[in-house]
Amino acid sequence: MRRELTFLTALWKANLLAAMEYRVSFISQVVGMILNDGVYFLFWVIFFDRFQKVRGWGLTDMFVLFGVVATGFGLGVFLFGNVLSLSEIISGGRLDYFLSMPRSVLVHVLASKCVISGLGDATYGVISFLFARQYRVDAILRFLVGSLLSMIIFLSFLVLVQSLSFWMGNSTLLSDQASNAIVTFSLYPITLFDGTAKLLLFTLIPAAFIGAIPAEFIRASDWKQLLWLLLATLIFLTLSIFAFHRGLRRYESGSAIQTQV
Amino acid sequence: MQLWKTTYRAAGTESINGLTLRDTLWYLMLAETIMLSKPRVSRTIAESVRDGSIAYLLNKPYNYLLYQVSIGLGDSLTHLIFNIAFGGIVVWLLVGPPPDPHGWPMVLLTMVIAWLLDFCVNALIGLAAFVTEEVSAFEWIYSKFLLLLGGILIPLDFFPTWLRSIAQALPFAYTIYGPARLFVDPEIPRFLSLLFGQISWLCIMGLVVIYMYRRGVTRLSINGG
Repeated sequence: MRRELTFLTALWKANLLAAMEYRVSFISQVVGMILNDGVYFLFWVIFFDRFQKVRGWGLTDMFVLFGVVATGFGLGVFLFGNVLSLSEIISGGRLDYFLSMPRSVLVHVLASKCVISGLGDATYGVISFLFARQYRVDAILRFLVGSLLSMIIFLSFLVLVQSLSFWMGNSTLLSDQASNAIVTFSLYPITLFDGTAKLLLFTLIPAAFIGAIPAEFIRASDWKQLLWLLLATLIFLTLSIFAFHRGLRRYESGSAIQTQV
Repeated sequence: MQLWKTTYRAAGTESINGLTLRDTLWYLMLAETIMLSKPRVSRTIAESVRDGSIAYLLNKPYNYLLYQVSIGLGDSLTHLIFNIAFGGIVVWLLVGPPPDPHGWPMVLLTMVIAWLLDFCVNALIGLAAFVTEEVSAFEWIYSKFLLLLGGILIPLDFFPTWLRSIAQALPFAYTIYGPARLFVDPEIPRFLSLLFGQISWLCIMGLVVIYMYRRGVTRLSINGG
């Protein structure tokens, strides 16, 4: 475990240094993403200015929700950037390099790339949480735990969906749709959805566990939500690791010459 | 859709700022259709600048920008047909038939001009690659301005008055809000005012794009071969 962490830290450091090589591009992507998220959030500022509350959700709740989703998503794609392109790597037969290394294939492939804009998302998430004015130490700790679990569930869900490429071939479109759907639905108040839609958001597209449940845990200090969150993390993490390793048995090399930089 | 259905139910009123739930959903359908049918011209131009392939297109006997217009139009048309059919069926099933078909020719004309206006902004973003190489940040911000100030997420009618008057004067509103609002409220004065605004912005943005393109081409440097 400790060796894996040392390895991960070294990978992240190398990724960060490589990203910062192009300083202007790095800054423009981080700042651009903060602005991008901020402009998107203005929708909710305007919406709640006009309608005040919708089924118990107000602007402060949205600050917490955006805080936890943006931090979880941002850290996830910054630290494990290949989670967005795993499907392409599998179907393109580009896992050979990782298979030849004495490290966990899944962890290695995911952390081999960083999506720079993710750092902007994560920064925006922290800013959004600050706007929610929950400055107590316990609230900050809940925010950190909630964001971490949100990140793990998001990563696990994407690994699970993208692992379908081992069986289906190129499933990039499906992966893109799944990624968009989970982020989009996680940014809406869960109280908007009833019946079947709500069931889907807790199972097939677990957006509730990325956004609403951790937000509820942070906001209302509801420990029952933490238990749900931990249970969901355990289930999705186990499923994703199982699906990836099961799929790996079916992997076929692309026999292409690859360079890993 | 779920958000607006819940909001109208919670507000307990038929119409909010002149829009009924049916108007709002048909408005959002057209706004989303315009947004989803846009070609990714900025990315295409930026990539061809970055990898140098623009050099092969510049020496051809046609105008590079018009070449991109024709590719983008073809691309958009296929997306538009699919999006409008799919979105139309869903909204029809939810809230009933679309607004008065007599206004559709007016809407179609304003959609074409809106497309050209969007093309100009996208081309400007793509041409920025001559200077910055990476243009993703500009793309994100432009798309978010369209979502918000263009009225895709929320019709401008629901904005506070001061923000609404600013947003309505900007090109984002002429790209999305204008045609979508005309679709649910097809009146001649609204059409004429929209047309005037669109053509004015198109002239301004068109001139800026031509200027930036000429400047960009003079500073183009291709590495290797």
